[in-house]
Amino acid sequence: MTVPKEMPEKWAPAPSSWSQKKPSWGTEEERRARANNREYNEKFQYASNCIKTSKYNILTFLPVNLFEQFQEVANTYFLFLLILQLIPQISSLSWFTTIVPLVLVLTITAVKDATDDYFRHKSDNQVNNRQSQVLINGILQQEPWMNVCVGDIIKLENNQFVAADLLLLSSSEPHGLCYIETAELDGETNMKVRQAIPVTSELGHISKLAKFDGEVICEPPNNKLDKFSGTLYWKDSKFALSNQNMLLRGCVLRNTEWCFGLVIFAGPDTKLMQNSGRTKFKRTSIDRLMNTLVLWIFGFLVCMGVILAIGNAIWEHEVGTHFQVYLPWDEAVDSAFFSGFLSFWSYIIILNTVVPISLYVRWREGGPSARLRWGPQYPGVPQPDLPLPCSVEVIRLGHSYFINWDKKMFCVKRQTPAEARTTTLNEELGQVEYIFSDKTGTLTQNIMVFNKCSIHGHSYGDMFDLLGHKAELGERPEPIDFSFNPLADNKFVFWDPSLLEAVKTGDPHTHEFFRLLSLCHTVMSEEKDEGELYYKAQSPDEGALVTAARNFGFVFRSRTPKTITVQELGSAITYQLLAILDFNNIRKRMSVIVRNPEGKIRLYCKGADTILLDRLHPSTHELLSATTDHLNEYAGEGLRTLVLAYKDLDEEYYEEWAVRRLQASLAQDSREDRLAKTAVNIGYSCKMLTDDMTEVFIVTGHTVLEVREELRKAREKMLDASRTVVNGFPCQEQLSTSKLTSVLEAVAGEYALVINGHSLAHALEADMELEFLETACACKAVICCRVTPLQKAQVVELVKKYKKAVTLAIGDGANDVSMIKTAHIGVGISGQEGIQAVLASDYAFSQFKFLQRLLLVHGRWSYLRMCKFLCYFFYKNFAFTMVHFWFGFFCGFSAQTVYDQYFITLYNIVYTSLPVLAMGVFDQDVPEQRSMEYPKLYEPGQLNLLFNKREFFICIAQGIYTSVLMFFIPYGVFAEATRDDGTQLADYQSFAVTVATSLVIVVSVQIGLDTGYWTAINHFFIWGSLAVYFAILFAMHSNGLFDMFPNQFCFVGNAQNTLAQPAVWLTIVLTTVVCILPVVAFRFLKLSLKPDLSDTVRYTQLVRKKQKAQHRCLRRVGRTGSRRSGYAFSHQEGFGELIMSGKNMRLSSLALSGFTTRSSSSWIESLRRKKSDSAGSPSGTSDKPLKG
Amino acid sequence: MQKTSQSSPSRRPDNTAYKQQQLPACRVQLTASRVLLCFFATGLSCLAMGIVLLLSAKGIQEVEINYTETCADCAALRENADNFDKECSCSIPFNIPQAMQGDVYMFYKLYGFYQNLYQYVLSRSNIQLVGTDVKHTDGCDPFATLNGTPIAPCGAIANSMFNDTIILSYNFNSSEDIKVPMLNQGIAWWTDKYVKFQNPSFNDLPSAFEGTVKPPSWSQPAYELDADTPENNGFTNDAFIVWMRTAAFPTFKKLYRRLHRTQHFTEGLPAGSYSLHITYNFPVTKFHGEKSVVLSTLTWSGGSSLFLGLAYTVTGAVTWLAFFSMMAVYVTMEKRI
Repeated sequence: MTVPKEMPEKWAPAPSSWSQKKPSWGTEEERRARANNREYNEKFQYASNCIKTSKYNILTFLPVNLFEQFQEVANTYFLFLLILQLIPQISSLSWFTTIVPLVLVLTITAVKDATDDYFRHKSDNQVNNRQSQVLINGILQQEPWMNVCVGDIIKLENNQFVAADLLLLSSSEPHGLCYIETAELDGETNMKVRQAIPVTSELGHISKLAKFDGEVICEPPNNKLDKFSGTLYWKDSKFALSNQNMLLRGCVLRNTEWCFGLVIFAGPDTKLMQNSGRTKFKRTSIDRLMNTLVLWIFGFLVCMGVILAIGNAIWEHEVGTHFQVYLPWDEAVDSAFFSGFLSFWSYIIILNTVVPISLYVRWREGGPSARLRWGPQYPGVPQPDLPLPCSVEVIRLGHSYFINWDKKMFCVKRQTPAEARTTTLNEELGQVEYIFSDKTGTLTQNIMVFNKCSIHGHSYGDMFDLLGHKAELGERPEPIDFSFNPLADNKFVFWDPSLLEAVKTGDPHTHEFFRLLSLCHTVMSEEKDEGELYYKAQSPDEGALVTAARNFGFVFRSRTPKTITVQELGSAITYQLLAILDFNNIRKRMSVIVRNPEGKIRLYCKGADTILLDRLHPSTHELLSATTDHLNEYAGEGLRTLVLAYKDLDEEYYEEWAVRRLQASLAQDSREDRLAKTAVNIGYSCKMLTDDMTEVFIVTGHTVLEVREELRKAREKMLDASRTVVNGFPCQEQLSTSKLTSVLEAVAGEYALVINGHSLAHALEADMELEFLETACACKAVICCRVTPLQKAQVVELVKKYKKAVTLAIGDGANDVSMIKTAHIGVGISGQEGIQAVLASDYAFSQFKFLQRLLLVHGRWSYLRMCKFLCYFFYKNFAFTMVHFWFGFFCGFSAQTVYDQYFITLYNIVYTSLPVLAMGVFDQDVPEQRSMEYPKLYEPGQLNLLFNKREFFICIAQGIYTSVLMFFIPYGVFAEATRDDGTQLADYQSFAVTVATSLVIVVSVQIGLDTGYWTAINHFFIWGSLAVYFAILFAMHSNGLFDMFPNQFCFVGNAQNTLAQPAVWLTIVLTTVVCILPVVAFRFLKLSLKPDLSDTVRYTQLVRKKQKAQHRCLRRVGRTGSRRSGYAFSHQEGFGELIMSGKNMRLSSLALSGFTTRSSSSWIESLRRKKSDSAGSPSGTSDKPLKG
Repeated sequence: MQKTSQSSPSRRPDNTAYKQQQLPACRVQLTASRVLLCFFATGLSCLAMGIVLLLSAKGIQEVEINYTETCADCAALRENADNFDKECSCSIPFNIPQAMQGDVYMFYKLYGFYQNLYQYVLSRSNIQLVGTDVKHTDGCDPFATLNGTPIAPCGAIANSMFNDTIILSYNFNSSEDIKVPMLNQGIAWWTDKYVKFQNPSFNDLPSAFEGTVKPPSWSQPAYELDADTPENNGFTNDAFIVWMRTAAFPTFKKLYRRLHRTQHFTEGLPAGSYSLHITYNFPVTKFHGEKSVVLSTLTWSGGSSLFLGLAYTVTGAVTWLAFFSMMAVYVTMEKRI
């Protein structure tokens, strides 16, 4: 397979332009395209194949870009402030304090946008000018892509990108088949088959194609990747078209020499373009809280403004009018009232530093930037709170990098590090309350191993503990030596030699057992070299079983549509394949009917025990009970089980059956929606349940009433039972099929609820969902089995809606995408089931066990750091700003600032930003080992204790307290005092310098107190900030600058004169002591009286009393009672049909590796319909909301 | 759309302390011993400092004579702007019971005069005051020009300069009044006098100020502020510089004169009766302001301020109180455990 040289077409972020640009004649009802008839097609004015993902051109760039930028609340807010500042009567700060940062931010953003757009232009150009062969007037001509029109017939060659959405007409392969790779569309790298409809598949030659004048009438452009419905009218007949006949733009043609297609959708109408862009933008709960707080603070700002404005009006009326000898009113001001009005705006300008407006999050559905761009969402917003959005984003970005860099979340086997795909959600990882986990694949990694079998009442493979505790590894004998078998897969290990003995001694049952395994499957084999077999199984369990058979001497060699060749203990035997009855979820079994060389017809069947055991011949009753015991034992160990059976058929019976089957298959609706269905099993899921649970409720009702009744009973029982808390952190029993070491501090609880898809559908109905939720939340674990992807999402939605809790969904398959997208945080496992889940996720890693570290270490730290950061941020800004408010009462409410303008400009950007940033990025309260050890440390995040409205008010109060002291202590000192040479101490500039210096020192000491983890970087930033403050102070007050700009740097000489005064330093020290000591006292008292767990952990850490957490592994005992089925194979309806039809036999099995009809984006629609047909079609895997 | 990043040869994250968040660091812990020690020490030093400050403040002698009421007639006269050219003066006798030892400073103190109003503080031209361009009056509104001629020094601050003349006399031997010798220089910051304020460079000051007019409230132009000392004129006049350094609060005192320690006054101001002779020019009653004269000695920490000493003492006391209560809490908690 060659890799195309050209770059793949980027799935470009969708600019708003073309999604809004509707065809001029309104919405398209249906699409008609006639082949080889441009005149006819032109009258519909379909979009051409020219795509435009760029937003601007040279002329429109400036206005459009500026317009877009000013749609951001923050930018508009600062523009508004700027306008206010330009009014001389209002201006209370010079204009540069706002305009410089604003222009800076606008310019940076504009440059970035321009660069992005330039590259989009470039890639558009490149894509539009790709060459394709278009059939024009009977001749193939090279045309750039952009000239391709709807209704054209184009020729594609191997490894070429599909230029537009095409109807496949014919191909080089027989039956008009062709193979495509859809990685660009849905991320799946396996190949898919498309097939032309039979009538057109004959049109293999240009001359025939040129005469083709069929007309396609089909659905209008939409974004459903897996659906297409249309009709081809040709030669007075109608032919139905489906997605099977379509080649979508963005796909790559593979393993097919050439094919011809009719352009149906071009350019922006193609499904690729219809799908691009606009991912839903997730925001954390802290973001949402911030939005509220920002509004509150804004209200607070207005209140302060009003108070000061009233003060100003009164002052002007009482004093100001008389003071006009010395300071006449401005010409514009004619009354005290008007002066008050102006001063309101002036104060809004001065005090705006309290409003972290740039934290105000737009709720616009994710712009193009949402997920694709790294880096700050807000590249920055002007001073004064410029650093906040930057800091928040920088901190989050830092945390994301820490996740990416974590070597403990690196999967060596797959060489995959963890990946934080969004940078905006990190702190929410520390607040997760409900985890929804997909079972199949996610917990088990979908690695299947043949472990045990019970053949004719004899159980093999259970001599040793299968759970594979490492301690017992040494006691194990060597695994069985399969060297007698040249075709054996040396990766396969089995420990019980008795099974091999049974094979070698020729036990007929054992032989039949493995023969069945080698025959009854849909695996494709590929033999690259002699004896080097590769199996391409559609599901890992099939692969495991066939491999087992292979190693025990029943080697599946090859298959043709009509035969299967098996190497049975060295001799090749070819069976005639009569029929494959593939898996489906209703039958829950798979059967093959083969005729062996002796001519006997035999039905081999494997499937769920529940189904098969009922169908066994009554004569085998004894065997049945023995096997059932074994099955229960296996299921109890958490193994997946499958029952095998065979039946000899006589010729007549088969004939009769074959006829019936043929009729049935003809009646099938070939356009049926295919659905990825995986079977599921309650018993397997029960591994989440531990035996010290008081009760496990199983809800399996089929009607609303039944379900309601069952739920009610469950609750009554719970209420009756007295509650005893079970201590300890139980370890989950390990699955033999998984490498799972532990599951999050899960279910030590008393109750568990198991509900199946049918009942869930009822439970999720509007009038019952609350009841269901209450019951479910009272349980420690809830297992929903046989649920559809939609139901998964609904359960998540339900918890989100009523619980106001942070939810996390983790899964690996396409059927988890909905759940991942719905939950607050979606985690994708980059496992074996493709990368769709990863593409939809916010975090991705390759092993489920990393979730523990992601939440307990990274999430917890992120949350802690973010909360500390925000608390400190509000504290420092309130301390800084409120001083102006108090000063207002002493300066006639004239909007005089306390500080020098440069200090105001630099305070947030330079003097105080880096230390808090360092804290926000590096802080740790307890070492990571401890946070893994004590999962209870995670609780503050769940309860939202570290940053909530109460904490916010405490920070604000502390800020205001500091500002009061910051103003009134210097005031008290300065009011009466003079300098030691008799000159005035209480001049405005000295006061400004004194207050500013003590502020910088106080907030630096405070950050020192807040920092729990002093790295060299923290030291550097904190001491550095102080040093920079004094350096800048002295520089600004130096003679040199004053000589150059006397009007700008009028504080000349102030620093050295003021800071030389002992009284000033005494004031600063006093202020610092008085501001800080209460905080220290408060914290100390809290530590002594009400220490929280992290304090205790830190304390014990300090005194080196390491307590080993007692991990108590609860041993599972086989549960008696109802039979637990271990059948949980995620079979899908596979290749059965294709194998029999022989269509795909030319294809190398590699190309078929994942030929699945897995649904993608539009499965929700199909599910909805399904659901209305039969409520809750059984499908999907199980969710386990664990209350963590 | 997604960087699947399969290209890089090794994707294993670097095992560095920084990337694994294992940077060597010190975990700060509020241990009881540290906190209690810190409180104890802080309390002790604050108390000590407070007592030192209180004692030194006690050594300061200060006399304040409020002459707003005493010179009510003049105040009434000044309320009417038409009387600007009429002279008005008043004398206030007072007594200093104890000799004021050492350097004695004379301040004028204004109550309710808002030198910190935003528009007021801005209303000056540093370019003019540094002598670069005497006609530069940008930003001096509303006192930039008078009938089109630039004002020098321009602006509201300069215009409102305190212009009362205060003369202190010592009633020597109960018959003879001696004018107490006072210095009107050396009362401003060095940087102000020599960097921030400079006269335009001309041979003689009057010609340097040519083309400008005096501020409307002034009785004489800038170059005639000090008739006795020619070099103390123009923008570098000490009294002017002191005034131009605007006060932070509406009540403030500015240094007016220093005692020239000669003749009878080498030791400071002897006890006895004195009188103030005030030429009353500066109207304050209109905006409910007050004026007074303050005579004061100083210590190492500057002028009299009980506040700092008191604040330190109280802080020290409270810190100790907190220390003992925290100690008590800590001991009880320890016992309980």
